[in-house]
Amino acid sequence: MQELFSALSLWLSAHPLITGWYTAIARLLFPVLSALILVRAIRSLLRIPHTPEVWAQLSLPGGGSIPLTHWENILGRGKSADAILNYPSISRQHAALCRGEDGAWTVYDLGSKGGTAVNGTPVTEQAPVKLGDTITLGGVPLVFLPQTVGEREELEKKRQAERPAAMWPSFLWLTVFQILTAIQLTLAAGEKASPVIPICFLILTAVMWLYAAALRLGRCVGFELETIAFYLSTLSLAVTASSAPGSLPKQLLAIVLGMGLFLALGLFLRDLERVEKRRWLMAAGAIGLLGITLVLGKAKFGATNWVTLGGISFQPSEIAKICYIFAGSATLERLFRRRNLALFIVLTGVCIGLLGLMSDFGTAAIFFVTFLVIAYLRSGDAATLALICGGAAFGTGIIVQFKPYILSRFAAWGHAWEAASGSGYQQTRTMSAAASGGLFGMGAGNGWLERIPAGDTDLVFGMLCEEWGLVIALLAVACILTLAWFAVRASRTGRSSFYTIAACAAGSLLVFQTSLNVFGSVDLLPLTGVTFPFVSNGGSAMLSAWGLLAYLKTMDTRADASFAIGRAAERKLDEEAARMAAPAEDAFEKEDGHAED
Amino acid sequence: MRKIEKRAVICMALAILLAAGMSVFLIRYFAEGGKWASSAFNRHLYDSNGVLISGTVLDRDGDVLSSVENGHRTYYENETVRKATLHAVGDLYGKIGTGVLNAFADKLTGFDLVNGAFGAERGSDLYLTLDARYNYEAYRALGGHAGTVAVYNYKTGEILCMVSAPSYDPLNVPKDLEENDRYKGAYLNRFLSSAFVPGSVFKTVTLTAALENLPDAETRTWNCTGSVQIGDETITCSGVHGEQTLKEAFAHSCNAAFAQIAEELGADTLRRYTEKAGLTSAYSVDGLPTAKGTFNWDGITAGQLGWAGVGQYHDQVNPCAFLLWMGAIANGGKAAEPYLIKKTVSSLGIPSLPHITRHTGRLIDSKTAATVADFMANNVTETYGTKRFPNMELCAKSGTAEVGTGQTPHAWFAGFLRNEDAPYAFVVLVENGGGGNAVAGTVAGKVLNVIVNRY
Repeated sequence: MQELFSALSLWLSAHPLITGWYTAIARLLFPVLSALILVRAIRSLLRIPHTPEVWAQLSLPGGGSIPLTHWENILGRGKSADAILNYPSISRQHAALCRGEDGAWTVYDLGSKGGTAVNGTPVTEQAPVKLGDTITLGGVPLVFLPQTVGEREELEKKRQAERPAAMWPSFLWLTVFQILTAIQLTLAAGEKASPVIPICFLILTAVMWLYAAALRLGRCVGFELETIAFYLSTLSLAVTASSAPGSLPKQLLAIVLGMGLFLALGLFLRDLERVEKRRWLMAAGAIGLLGITLVLGKAKFGATNWVTLGGISFQPSEIAKICYIFAGSATLERLFRRRNLALFIVLTGVCIGLLGLMSDFGTAAIFFVTFLVIAYLRSGDAATLALICGGAAFGTGIIVQFKPYILSRFAAWGHAWEAASGSGYQQTRTMSAAASGGLFGMGAGNGWLERIPAGDTDLVFGMLCEEWGLVIALLAVACILTLAWFAVRASRTGRSSFYTIAACAAGSLLVFQTSLNVFGSVDLLPLTGVTFPFVSNGGSAMLSAWGLLAYLKTMDTRADASFAIGRAAERKLDEEAARMAAPAEDAFEKEDGHAED
Repeated sequence: MRKIEKRAVICMALAILLAAGMSVFLIRYFAEGGKWASSAFNRHLYDSNGVLISGTVLDRDGDVLSSVENGHRTYYENETVRKATLHAVGDLYGKIGTGVLNAFADKLTGFDLVNGAFGAERGSDLYLTLDARYNYEAYRALGGHAGTVAVYNYKTGEILCMVSAPSYDPLNVPKDLEENDRYKGAYLNRFLSSAFVPGSVFKTVTLTAALENLPDAETRTWNCTGSVQIGDETITCSGVHGEQTLKEAFAHSCNAAFAQIAEELGADTLRRYTEKAGLTSAYSVDGLPTAKGTFNWDGITAGQLGWAGVGQYHDQVNPCAFLLWMGAIANGGKAAEPYLIKKTVSSLGIPSLPHITRHTGRLIDSKTAATVADFMANNVTETYGTKRFPNMELCAKSGTAEVGTGQTPHAWFAGFLRNEDAPYAFVVLVENGGGGNAVAGTVAGKVLNVIVNRY
């Protein structure tokens, strides 16, 4: 194999025209393939929201009913209520109706004026409710009912019609993309080419198809998020093959491990009770990972964020991001309770403090922005957050006063070209290389930015522009934007506030990190040395990106779309509806004197 | 849940910020990307010595001025031609920023923001509007003096000759280039990037103002006794010219007469005409910016105004702007904007789009321009002598600009030809050369002779 390969590369280096022509054609094909791969996925994700799941319904005294589409529903007169009940005696936010992991429902009175009762018994704080019970809000009786078989079938039909677009064409195009990339990289490497490059790409292709086949067997049909992740991971392999061919197997392993983490976390997140139980562990994990780094860390490019254990170096702060979002979003105080952020603020303070001590200001900024997103989603309290921002700015000012050398790292910001051989070295190289690529790039493996320190990590956007062209670099950013867009849009149909908060936090984190990476490298922001999610060379960053994707996967409540969504609960509803079909109608006639329309 | 949904806009806001930032990046990419790529450290366009890897510079006839052979950049084989075209072609180390090799690396390598640097190693051919022969003659005519010579077609804008001295051989850079006074300002293209005291050539502006503002300008006479006292300044003249009309005073280049005219016109009028003439404007030659001329009219005394009116005091003029002023007088008020790049031909043989001639704004009223041109023609017949300029319908003005006590004055000679088949404007400046007509006029004569009579 090795001999055959070296003979081949020897023959190719004797015929440079072939390499030239291949690149000249392939560089135009790659943007087209990228569009073919991504358009389908992005379009499908942007079509969300879809018809939501329905967990039960409230039938109104005057006829008609309101479906409950979440596991946590606010009942009230206000516009932001999930079930809007337009009766003067009902408060804006009157009560909450929540479904537990075991399928049992609880009603909470949210300090309403008119009071809440279940089957006539007043509720002081909370009370269990069963299907068929009457919940009285401010004197208005509402019957808490399951959907009938007919309704469920109709809903199911509607939801099935909105199933995710088939992704196999994208996978097919991505396979073509991977093969062409492997050939391009091998040709570009010339005499130094090794069979490692095509082998790694082949394994990635195989893993990708294996994943799709396994999930398809598990009757999961939504692959848009994975398509995006696989596409970006392919770019990451290409970047690594160009800059550090030796680390290619390591990067491939990181992708596979990342997928493992993605699957494991996604499956774990299915069970909300489990999530709530583990949140302390995750908070401790975030602090522990950062603490370990501070103790054992090694400095690299000014920040002490590397730990080497048993010959493997990694960045624990990357994994800490996943723990932090987990701990921050999983809160027993569900959406309607007293919004107590104190503990979360303490956790954030410790994390950012540790990152500050490591001089990892980029990651500290990411944690802070993630904090703001989670805190705002949890409390909606813009005033307090503005105060916290002010405090943070003030604190930063104080720190800079005492340690002015911190600022000197960012001195070139805004005038990189005036310090082109000093502190603006990396940024000017990035811009120059990026402009050299034009729209279609110089061809993978044909760049020089990879020789600049951190070229394949902090400056990877420049490498994308240089070797792959502006079109693909912009598509990579568009991928990240799509993820955030998806998180926001899907929140309309999310099962629980935890999923929505975590997904929006993960989406925001990815977007902000991408902003820091891209704008830092081209001198629109200070260069803080953070990675481009999925694309930068680096195992920990890859694991982290795939892990964060699991939070997004929990938002995909389309019929049979996501493995991170438990299907048992819905199935149980179907079964119950079927069982109750015949006798239920009679029973309801007798009890309430009115039937469903 | 609906509450959280609404709050999720914060995530959307971040996404919009990223998108907005990308737009800013894109704008900068397309506005400045060419400049980013044209950095000497960009290995797609430059080798490890910072020398452009490809691209051939040719003159208008196709003589190769610089090319790449076997990975090395070469220049024209004749040393004097190399020196004469250095500021147009550029050096190897990026010191001469206005040289084509440095300023137009994109055109030479075929780089653009769509295709990037792909295939840049094949390079393009860039044809200058210059003729190496004219540059050679002009450089020799300067005879080792610092200065500049430029000739351009005021109808089309082509620059036929552009020399700046001191120059040096880019293939044998003198060791003492940075220390020796001989090479002072050798990196500067004086034509584009410098400004000098104009001396009497500025009288063309004062004359224009006089013609349009003094009702009896062409019939009035001025007396010259060798000097004139205005305020606390004594403005001296080159001779005693006696009673003279405006035309005669212009031909005599009489300081006494023009200082009085300047005083009579006032600072505001002169400022207006100087600005209208474009002498304080920055022009763009294929994107290369020219230096702005500077004048000081504010709080000027009558005596200082007298000096300013004859091109002394704080007057500073850029040779390129002055060339355009000459072109505008020749061309009825509007000159063609000058350009240096005739065309580029890509490695696949695809030529660039033809140059579209653009004109300056109106620098002078067309009727006044005709009168000034006649006056300048009269200068040649009366003062400079027509025999020195065979077959030329020459209109010109000389200048001998005082640059300080104990220093030889700068010699200027500027003007244009009214020949149908040779619509050329020119400017010659010899730093510390001496008399304008004698020194700069001779240089102009030699260069124009080659161009018009094809010696």
